[in-house]
Amino acid sequence: MKIKLTSVYVDDQDKALRFYTEVLGFAKKADFSQGPFRWLTVASPEEPSGTELQLALNNNPAAKAYQQAIFQQSQPAGMFYTDDLKGDYERIKARGAVFTMPPTDVTGSSIAMLNDTCGNLIQLTQLARYSR
Amino acid sequence: MTDRAQYAPGPASAAQVRKDGEKWTLILVRELHHPPERVWQALTDPTHLREWAPFEADGNLGTVGRAAKLTTVGAPTPQVSETTVTRAEAPKLLEYNWGAQDIRWQLEAFGGGTRLTLWHNIDRRFISMGAAGWHICFDVLDHLLSGTPIGRIVGREAMKFGWPRLHSEYARQFAVETPNWPPKAAEGA
Repeated sequence: MKIKLTSVYVDDQDKALRFYTEVLGFAKKADFSQGPFRWLTVASPEEPSGTELQLALNNNPAAKAYQQAIFQQSQPAGMFYTDDLKGDYERIKARGAVFTMPPTDVTGSSIAMLNDTCGNLIQLTQLARYSR
Repeated sequence: MTDRAQYAPGPASAAQVRKDGEKWTLILVRELHHPPERVWQALTDPTHLREWAPFEADGNLGTVGRAAKLTTVGAPTPQVSETTVTRAEAPKLLEYNWGAQDIRWQLEAFGGGTRLTLWHNIDRRFISMGAAGWHICFDVLDHLLSGTPIGRIVGREAMKFGWPRLHSEYARQFAVETPNWPPKAAEGA
């Protein structure tokens, strides 16, 4: 058993696909439709066969309520790891994303938080490396 | 289930796409050798729908104002949509929504049988997928009405029964790009 997929709810799948590819830099992985349902995922170009992120439409009341509640509590709906937080912060900011938290040192890591424009906060995390 | 094992869809046919700006509607016509009353039952009765349709309905769809839940069969995660029947003129016209999409069925008596027309607004990127899926569903419906049911063929099951070929053929007919689905094996799982 492997962890190969995680999901975020989004309010618009086309807008989300643009943001997650053009702004964040991921690549579209799966995109198909069955009836009114669209299965849409992206993956990291650094790891094309790695974990996929499903951009799931929040078209039911429970999904919307959950998404809004954790957004209001400043909780990230998703978290991505990077080896270059400052570089990614500058690159993503230059493409127009709004950060709600600039790179900040916290216990064990540095983090930054951005608004994905689809109803979510997304956290970027770089693990701290300690020398003994 | 010998009939099912032998089933293979014919070539893509009798499909049109009506393009109204960004809104595209798939129009499929199928001539069935059974009277409109029987076809109507197959379109509205949940026990009949279960034998051929790409969704389960939790109630009869034959009454205007009727609210029901449609469960997409074989979706990668469970998908339930609320639906409301907006027109039901037995045995001629039936309209309801499937999630954000609209479905309209017209049944015309035709030489002892029925000319069945479906209008379904599907995003243009996925319209060839929808055409291929409905094509197979209509074949299964025809078998059901003829008293030789072969069992519903939807979702992943359709992959084994000619869906990829039909999908390519309809994409060519509609002059849309064939989405990369199913993914090529070389690209990894």
